[in-house]
Amino acid sequence: MISGLVQILLFQSLGELVSKFVLPTLPGPVIGLVLLIVWLVLRKGINHELAMVADGFSQYLGLLFVPAAVGVVLFLPQLKANALAIVSALVGSVILTIATSAIVVRFLSSKPKEVNQ
Amino acid sequence: MSEKHSIVEIWVYLSGSPLFALFITLAAYQIGLTIYKATKQNPLANPVAIAIILVASIIQFVEMPYSTYFEGAQFIHFLLGSATVSLAIPIYRGLSSLKGRSLPLLASLIAGGLVSIVGAVNIAKLLGADSSITGAMYPKSVTAPIAMGIAERIGVSPTLTAIFAVTTGILGAILAPFILNALGMKAWWQRGFAIGIGAHGIGTSRAFSIHPEAGTYASLAMGMNGVISAVAIPILYHLFN
Repeated sequence: MISGLVQILLFQSLGELVSKFVLPTLPGPVIGLVLLIVWLVLRKGINHELAMVADGFSQYLGLLFVPAAVGVVLFLPQLKANALAIVSALVGSVILTIATSAIVVRFLSSKPKEVNQ
Repeated sequence: MSEKHSIVEIWVYLSGSPLFALFITLAAYQIGLTIYKATKQNPLANPVAIAIILVASIIQFVEMPYSTYFEGAQFIHFLLGSATVSLAIPIYRGLSSLKGRSLPLLASLIAGGLVSIVGAVNIAKLLGADSSITGAMYPKSVTAPIAMGIAERIGVSPTLTAIFAVTTGILGAILAPFILNALGMKAWWQRGFAIGIGAHGIGTSRAFSIHPEAGTYASLAMGMNGVISAVAIPILYHLFN
């Protein structure tokens, strides 16, 4: 497990370094993510220890949002004042996003599939 | 020393150490998980939402300032960066299942990603939301760890972004089956991909619990959407603000 964590922290540090000195518009962890994918593609595989740590993170990802999201206490009056706009925007955009993504992927993938079969 | 006095001293000691913040955060999440399992994984009983409400209520009740709470809970918060990096593993696993489907998937990702931003920002603006709220709407369809990184870069509140992102995930997990059935979507990979774009992490775990292929494509969509959005959202944001 420790070796998996070392690998993750190594790529996170590399990402932070690249973000600080080369690509300041991208968050460090996102650069680390891309570097790790490139590394996995080059090595053609995930080692067991890395998979174990990564799966642990994905399983409890939700817990990691809690400290920042509790900051909602600082925004309660603002959220209340804008409640209608926020709820409508979130519900409306979720419906539009899922519908658009689904329609585009089906429309573009149905035709060549039929030719192939 | 009177008994009352010593209780106050214990409280002063506890509230000054990170222990209290760590304890209530983990305990609240554990309670959330228990409720989630007891309701047979009903998306309305989302463990993250339950934990946020519980911790927020507790710190309001004991009158602990948010900054004091966060000082302790920052050890959990720090791991968000590492969790973002580990998203590389599900994306890498998903890449092998692309099977020549990359063009429709990429087109769907760009269309869905744009609609989520344009839709959310404009609906909020039309109904009179102020700019701090519309700003935080930009990254809300991105998985929360990446969304908060983007929020910091464009100078909007990472907290509001996290809240909108978590709410979006819950709404997406609840609404997706109805939307996809109404559209007559049958292929698991297409359903999963649409859920991953619209409802990121919470939608992805829902997709995994329904069908493994849907889950793989949902995590691929979530990861790719996160990476592309991290590049595109700062550009879009500065274009319109």
